[in-house]
Amino acid sequence: MDQFLQHAMNAAILGSTYALLGIGLTMIFGIMRVVNFTHGELYTFGAYMTFFFVMVAGVNFFLSLALAIVLGIALGALIEFVLLRPLRGADIDITMLVMIGAWIVMQNTEQMVWGGVAKSIDTPFPEEPLTLGPVSVPWLRVFIFAAAIALIAGTHMFIHRTRLGKAMRATFQDRDTAALMGININGINMLTFALGSGLAAAAGALLAPAFIVTITMGNPVALKAFAVVILGGLGNFWGAAIGGFILAIVEEFGAVYISSGYRDATGFLLIILVLTFRPTGLFARRERIG
Amino acid sequence: MRAYEAVVVAALLTIPLLFGGGYVLHLVITTSLMIIAAMSLNLVFGYTGQLSLGHVAFFGIGAYVSALSSLGFTIGFTEEWSVSVDPKPVWLSFIFAVIVSGIFGFLIGKVSFRIRGAYFVIVSISFAEVVRLVALNWVSLTQGPMALNNIPPFELPIPGLDINYYGKTWSFYLVLALGVLAYVVIARLVRSRVGNAMIALRENEPLASSVGIDVTHYLVLGAVVSAAIAGAAGSLYAHYIRIIDPDVFLFIYTVTMIIMIVTGGKGTLAGPLVGGVLFGAIPPLLREVADPELQWILYGGLMIAVMFFMPDGMVPAAQRFWMRLRASWKGPLAANAND
Amino acid sequence: MNIRTSVLALSGLLCTAFAVQAPAQETIKIGVNMPLTGPVAASGNYIANGARIAADRINAAGGVLGKKLELLIEDNKGNPTEAAAVAEKLISRDKVPVMMGAWSSTFTLAVMPKLMEHQVPMLVETSSSEKITRSGNPWIFRIAPTSSMEAKVFAQKLGNLPIKKAAFLVTNNDFGIGAAQEFSKALKERGVQIGITETMDPHAQDLSAQLSKLKATDADTIFVTSVVEQLTLVLRQAKALRMTQRIVTTGGSQAPDQLIQQAGSAANDSYHIVFFTPWFPEQAVNKDVAIALVDEWKKRGYNPSGLTEGFRGFDGILTIAEAIRIAGKAEPKAIQQAFWKVKVKGVNGDISFAKDGPASKESGQSTANVYMIQIKDGKVAPVSF
Repeated sequence: MDQFLQHAMNAAILGSTYALLGIGLTMIFGIMRVVNFTHGELYTFGAYMTFFFVMVAGVNFFLSLALAIVLGIALGALIEFVLLRPLRGADIDITMLVMIGAWIVMQNTEQMVWGGVAKSIDTPFPEEPLTLGPVSVPWLRVFIFAAAIALIAGTHMFIHRTRLGKAMRATFQDRDTAALMGININGINMLTFALGSGLAAAAGALLAPAFIVTITMGNPVALKAFAVVILGGLGNFWGAAIGGFILAIVEEFGAVYISSGYRDATGFLLIILVLTFRPTGLFARRERIG
Repeated sequence: MRAYEAVVVAALLTIPLLFGGGYVLHLVITTSLMIIAAMSLNLVFGYTGQLSLGHVAFFGIGAYVSALSSLGFTIGFTEEWSVSVDPKPVWLSFIFAVIVSGIFGFLIGKVSFRIRGAYFVIVSISFAEVVRLVALNWVSLTQGPMALNNIPPFELPIPGLDINYYGKTWSFYLVLALGVLAYVVIARLVRSRVGNAMIALRENEPLASSVGIDVTHYLVLGAVVSAAIAGAAGSLYAHYIRIIDPDVFLFIYTVTMIIMIVTGGKGTLAGPLVGGVLFGAIPPLLREVADPELQWILYGGLMIAVMFFMPDGMVPAAQRFWMRLRASWKGPLAANAND
Repeated sequence: MNIRTSVLALSGLLCTAFAVQAPAQETIKIGVNMPLTGPVAASGNYIANGARIAADRINAAGGVLGKKLELLIEDNKGNPTEAAAVAEKLISRDKVPVMMGAWSSTFTLAVMPKLMEHQVPMLVETSSSEKITRSGNPWIFRIAPTSSMEAKVFAQKLGNLPIKKAAFLVTNNDFGIGAAQEFSKALKERGVQIGITETMDPHAQDLSAQLSKLKATDADTIFVTSVVEQLTLVLRQAKALRMTQRIVTTGGSQAPDQLIQQAGSAANDSYHIVFFTPWFPEQAVNKDVAIALVDEWKKRGYNPSGLTEGFRGFDGILTIAEAIRIAGKAEPKAIQQAFWKVKVKGVNGDISFAKDGPASKESGQSTANVYMIQIKDGKVAPVSF
């Protein structure tokens, strides 16, 4: 039972970060219909930026996280403007390939800039973990969980309580009508991509101090983000959020009770199963973005 | 076969004579196998419009099946009961590889009928990842990361000829033979009614379906042929490199195939070849002058540039250019006649 | 360093080109096949650096057979196909008479058919898989110990470490799984109980599932086999889970200095089985050579945590140079025969090759020395075995 609680706690924390990644990707997918291969790289970017600010520039830890997220948003906006906007209306495969090209360029630029040695980031949290009975959680992880939930809640409020968010939802439901109603589609696209990228960067920034920062850290993460999006249904905010937790639970308990080697496979098998039997995702009937 | 195609084949036959040196021939062989796999992906991606990003799975499955059956293997189902298979001759292993890959192609074809577009993209990527993880973890069968090594070379006793099966010349001709065969199969398929149906499917599926074209049937047919060819290429790869590990299923190889197809021209026969030669030749050339990271950055940048300026690919762009040249020579009336 | 590689490669090519016109060239080429980019790039570069130090040292002392050694260091990008392609290039194009490589066992296995095809010997400096010397390839000469050697030596010296029951946490590749298998065997023979083996994907960052499972077992010692990045994660996460078991890492790729730097206090009280102790080079069997390497490494400003791997490149080139000297000419077959007669005082210990593998096709395997250190209060301390 003790073990079970420990694993449940690990799964919950992991799930919150998967949810962050999934929500960002599902927004991009849903509103822009772009298969965003750079999502993993934004995650890595967020991590490296945090490393830079904390370890190289000596900036306060929390401020560094904020800066990393802001830069992630900026990078997302830049990618949308330079690469995606000129391609509006093109085939989905062309956009996909440009994204793949961008992914290759980004990952290798990172390798050139940072080198291949893994980096670790110091945190201001005490080293002794928080002990809740049989379960022990490092303070950093508690912070990650709290921050992720806060970001998810914040994003939800943005989408539901602001005019811009409403514009996003409208574009998602019916792009052409939204355009006719005077919504600046270009602007919405940039906002969506920037926001989604910012969430990915946030996930990277939050997790980097818990793990280590490497060039290829984004690769498995990108695939998992796709898994979450599938589970939740394209463009489905809560689907992605819940999907993130489901994936984390399946992975964590699968690793413990089935096999740790096949841990990553459980996620993919889940996708294949869901898509075979419920192609539109587990939560398709419920609300989309909004 | 059309005239220019025969000329190309004849030219290719002379390659080992020109490039007897080991290194270049080695590159030619490995790139050619990737090109064959790209050609097979083009059948699904270019002609039926299905975004299958898990194609490397068929290549890898072909490689593993061929390697395992030529090395012999044992699967232990329970403590007492296991199935042992003795090593089979390589040509038979090759056939198994083609068949098994084809079967998986059939399964994926069926799946793709129910799921389209972006969802299918993700399913196909997941499929390749799952296969990779199975190859990685089912250690008792696949040796997992320890890799299958000492795979026998492709021996095909041809009476009267003394062939060094370990040498590259033999491997090259084998790969060339497969390449020509694959090209012929794909070309005939594409130029027939089946091909027309596939293209109709790609262009406008509901319309095609309403005209009576059996959508499932053609999707599945394309998937099976495509997977079988990829499996064949994988088998030859296994017997040439003679060591196979789960990294053969990495996503980056599918990306390489996609790059070859799209830059060359998807939905054209020559596209993957042109794209393949270009992207097969670039890395080794770049290796001499640039850091590896810079090479990849140039690679990615080139891909983006091609997508922006020649989104159909180079072959159609070249064809259009050629048409315009001919039109300007013959005058405006003749240009209309050609349209 | 990458510019250097390109320049070296380019100059290697130019040398080959000029060799046609100027047969009296002054260098002996040695091919080095290493992962200089990719996930294990750090290790590959450390070994390349060790190799360079050795080559420069030999050249400063007059070279071999009156000629200077020239290292052609090529990047195999951390993948087996590329490793084979690099070997092909070094042999066919650059015409090296001998090579060193290729770091990981999978890369080395991928290169081995090329050695048979072209009949060129290769010195294996890091790879630990049994298969390498047991495949019947007479062109392979290995100075790195196999996991079984490492395990046997460790088990013999169990002495001060009371281990009742051992469990394993290893990477899901031949390096990790091989270590788990061999250490289990060797420890069992010494009466140690063997517990569970948990595996981790080499790229996995979250190991809490495996660690939680191990925490709950009654094993008192956990053997961990992986590369330094993942070891850092293991140590940190084990501490976060308040694990009480003793941790012993194996394999020689641990870079303990880096562990201290990145895992901080989580690294304390962990033990490490290494093949060179650069913190106390005086304790090495051949301390002059060891001290010389450590000094030169520091002088060149290389990352000191790289010494625990870099020495392999150093010992490798020393051995190759000696083989070329004994052979009397820079010719593959002669060098291969000469390897059997080599006796070199390397940093790890004395190097000489014994036969290993199927009869009449044996590979050469040298017996390596194994050392153990522990981390106490943020510093590396020797362990009296």
